[in-house]
Amino acid sequence: MTDIDTVTTSNGMQLSGRPCLGLLIFTAAFCLILPALWPSVERLETGPDYRIPYAVGNDYWLYDRWAREASRTCDTLLVGDSVVWGHFVAREQTLSHHMNAVEGSARFANLGVDGSHPAALAGLIEFHGKSFGDRKIVLLCNPTWMASTDQDLRNPDLRRDQVFPYNHAPLIPQFRPAVPCYRETFSGRIGHVLDRNLPFNAWTRHLQVAYYENKSIPAWTLDHPYENPLKPMTLRLGPADDRLEESISWTERGIRKQDTPWVDLESSLQWGEFRRTVRLLRSRGNPLLVVVGPYNEHLLTEPSLKRYLALKKGVEAWLASEKVPHLLPPPLPSGTYADASHPLDAGYALMARQVLAHEFFKR
Amino acid sequence: MVFHERAFIYVFFVVVYLGYLLLKRHNGLTLVWLCAASYFFYGYWNWYYLILIAATTTLDWFIGLHVGTSPRKKLWLILSLVSNLGLLAFFKYAEFVTENLNAAVAGVGLGWAAVNPAKAAMEALGMKYLLPVGISFFTFQSLSYTIDVYRGNLKVERNLLRFATFVSLFPQLVAGPIERASNLLPQLYGTRTITLRDFTEGVSHFLVGFFKKVALADYLALYVDKVYNAPGEHEAPALLLATFAFAWQIYFDFSGYTDMARGVAQMMGFRLMLNFNNPYVATGLGDFWNRWHISLSTWFKDYVYFPLGGNRGTAFATYRNMVATMLISGFWHGAAWGFIIWGALHAVGRVVTRQLEGSSFYTNRVPTFAKQLGVFVFVCFTWIFFRGKTWETSWIVLRRIFSTGWGDPRFPLVLLVLVLAVWAYQFLYAGGAAAKRLVELPPVRLALAAAMLVWLAVIAQAGSQPFIYFDF
Repeated sequence: MTDIDTVTTSNGMQLSGRPCLGLLIFTAAFCLILPALWPSVERLETGPDYRIPYAVGNDYWLYDRWAREASRTCDTLLVGDSVVWGHFVAREQTLSHHMNAVEGSARFANLGVDGSHPAALAGLIEFHGKSFGDRKIVLLCNPTWMASTDQDLRNPDLRRDQVFPYNHAPLIPQFRPAVPCYRETFSGRIGHVLDRNLPFNAWTRHLQVAYYENKSIPAWTLDHPYENPLKPMTLRLGPADDRLEESISWTERGIRKQDTPWVDLESSLQWGEFRRTVRLLRSRGNPLLVVVGPYNEHLLTEPSLKRYLALKKGVEAWLASEKVPHLLPPPLPSGTYADASHPLDAGYALMARQVLAHEFFKR
Repeated sequence: MVFHERAFIYVFFVVVYLGYLLLKRHNGLTLVWLCAASYFFYGYWNWYYLILIAATTTLDWFIGLHVGTSPRKKLWLILSLVSNLGLLAFFKYAEFVTENLNAAVAGVGLGWAAVNPAKAAMEALGMKYLLPVGISFFTFQSLSYTIDVYRGNLKVERNLLRFATFVSLFPQLVAGPIERASNLLPQLYGTRTITLRDFTEGVSHFLVGFFKKVALADYLALYVDKVYNAPGEHEAPALLLATFAFAWQIYFDFSGYTDMARGVAQMMGFRLMLNFNNPYVATGLGDFWNRWHISLSTWFKDYVYFPLGGNRGTAFATYRNMVATMLISGFWHGAAWGFIIWGALHAVGRVVTRQLEGSSFYTNRVPTFAKQLGVFVFVCFTWIFFRGKTWETSWIVLRRIFSTGWGDPRFPLVLLVLVLAVWAYQFLYAGGAAAKRLVELPPVRLALAAAMLVWLAVIAQAGSQPFIYFDF
C-alpha cells in the first residue's frame, strides 16, 4: 500500500497565529479605509442638473456619494425612478431642472435612478440613501409598476431565461417578502445582502461600473489584452450621457390606447414596497412629499381608466390615513407625454409648477 | 454547494463549524452532526443524489462486515465491485456506450437504436437525467474500504454512522482527495483536539485554494473557453496559448479545490492526504503522476497496477500493466473518446520516459529544466484531448495549430504575468533549500497572503464557476 502523506504541503503559505492576526487587521483596515478615502482622490464633476448617468445606474456607491453631496448643497432631493431621472429628456429638461428654474436657485437635486421600481427603490434608499440627512424628500410614486402582475413582479413565469426580468436585482428584497419572479440562487442572494451592507463591496463594484465597462477587471483585460489595466482609472467622473430616446410624444411614437389590467392594491408587491419606503423615510425624519404620477390617462381605454382611478383612490386613501403630505396632480396634456408615464420637457415644466404649488414648500 | 460560494463560506461552514466545536467532545454526536452536514452539503445539488450515496454506503458497510471473515469472501468482494462499478457504469458510461453502439449500428444500416438506460430510468421516475456530482470519487473511496478489508489490511468498521461519515465527509466528498479508510476512518474515532495552528494553517490552505480557483482558474477559463468554444475561428498562437492556459486552469481549479478541502478539514482537526505537489515542475511522466492527483494515482497503483502484477514481471508485462492502468485512468475521468486518448497518450509517455530514465545520458546529461519543459509541453499536448472532449474538436485544434497563420492571440498580459509569477514561485519552492527558505520567510509569506487577499477583494471576478472535476 502506498504511504499516505498528510503533512507535506505544496507551498510555503502556512501562517501561524500572529501573521494570521496581522493579515486580519490588514484586511479590515484595507476594506474600511480605502472606500472612505476614495472620494478624496476621485473627482465627481456634477455641474448643473446632474443626474447619475444611465450607464452607471447600477453603481450604488456613486449614488451614495451623489446623495451625500446633494444633501450638502440642496435642500430638497427628488427621489424616484425614470420619471424623476428623465428618461426621454435631456438633463436640462428634467423635473428638478424646471423646479430649480422656477425657484431661481439650485435647491432641488435629481436623485432619480432609471429603472428603480418601488421594490428596488426601497432597497436603494434603505442601503444607499443613508446620507439624505434631514433633507426634504419629494418621492415619486409611478403607478406604472402596478399596471400588471408582470410589473408587480408577481408573475413567476416572467422571462425564465433571466434571474430577474428588471433592473436592480441587488436592491430588491432577497428573502422577505418573497418576489415570485426572482430566481436567484441562495448564494447569489447572500452575495447581494453582503454587497449592500459592505461599503467595500459597493466600492469595488463602483470601479467596475465606472471604469471597466461594467465588467470585472479580468473580463475587461480579455477585451483589452495589451492595455495597462490602470489606464481606464481616470479618477474623474462626470455627467456622461444625455437623453436616451427621442423626445417625441406617445402618439408620434405610434403607441395606441391600452387596456392595462392594473393589480389589486392590497396584494400588490410594488405597492407594499412603496409603503415601506415611505415609512423608512419618515422614520429617518425626512420631511416627505409623495407625488403620485401623473400617469398618462389619455392612453388608457375606458375600462382600464376606471380601474386606474380606483387604484389611485386607494393610494390616496392610504397616504391620507398615514398623514403623508401628498399630491395627485391631474393628468398632463396628452402631447406632453412620451409614453405611459414619462413626461416630455413641457410636461415636466407643468409638473414642476404643480409640485411647487403644494403647501409642503410653503411651510 | 461549492467551497468558494457565499452560501458555503458565510452560512454553511459557519453553522457547521460552530456546531462541530460545541459537539466535538462527544464522538457520537459529532458523527451525527458531520454526517448530517455532509448529506445536506451533497443534497444541496440535488436531493436524489442522497439515495445513491446512502445506498453505496450501506451496501459497502454491510459487505465490509462479511468480506473479511466469511468463507465466501471473494463473492462479497465481487458484490462490492459490481455494485460500485455498476453504479458508475450506469450513470456515467451508459450514455457513452449507447451513443457508440448506435453509431456502429447506424454504420451497418440497421434501423435500431438503443436508449440510455440511466436516462430512461430517471425520466420514468419523473426526474431529469443528471450525472451525480462526484460519483467517481465516493464510489472509489467506498470501494477501497471493502478491498482493504478483504485483503486484511484494515479492520472492519462496525458502526454504520462512522462509515457513512467517512464516505460522505463534506470537505472531500465531491472532488477528493480520494481518502483511504486507513487514513480517515481512524480520525473519526475519539475526540479531536483542534489547535490554533490547525485553525490558522487550515485558513491558509483555504486562502491559497480560493485564490487558485477564483483569481487564477476562473480568469484562465475566460480565455480558454473563448478559444476552445470556437477553435475554428482562432489561429495557432491563440490555440497554443489556450492549451497552455488550460493546463494551468485545470491545475489551479483542481488543486485549488483540494487546498480548500484540506484547509476546511484541518480547521476541523482532520488531516487529508496531499493531492497535488507542483506537478508542472516534474522531470518525468512518472514524476508527474506522483505529483498530480496523487490520491487517484496511488489508488490506481494500489488497486489496479499492483494487482495486475506491477513491475514484478518482465519489462513487457510492466509496460502492459502501466498502459492498462493509464487507459483505465483516462476512462475514469469521463465517458468520452477524448479522455481515453488522453489516458493512452499518458501511457505512451510513461513508457517512453521510463525507458529514457534508464539511460545514463538522459539521467546525467540532460538539464533538469529541459526535462521539466519537455514534460510540461507533453502534458499540455495531452490536455488538448482532455479539453476538446470530442475527437472532432481536438482534431480542429491540432490541425489549426500546424496549419494556420500567426495572428494576434490577444492573450491578456496581466494573466500571463500572473501565471508566470505563480510558476516562478513553484520553481523556487520546489527548487532547492535556499530558494525554499526565501519564500518561507515570514514577511514574504505575509506579503503574499496580503497580495492574494487584495487581488481577491478588488480584482477577481465574483461568482462561483463550477469546478472542472465535478464532472467526473
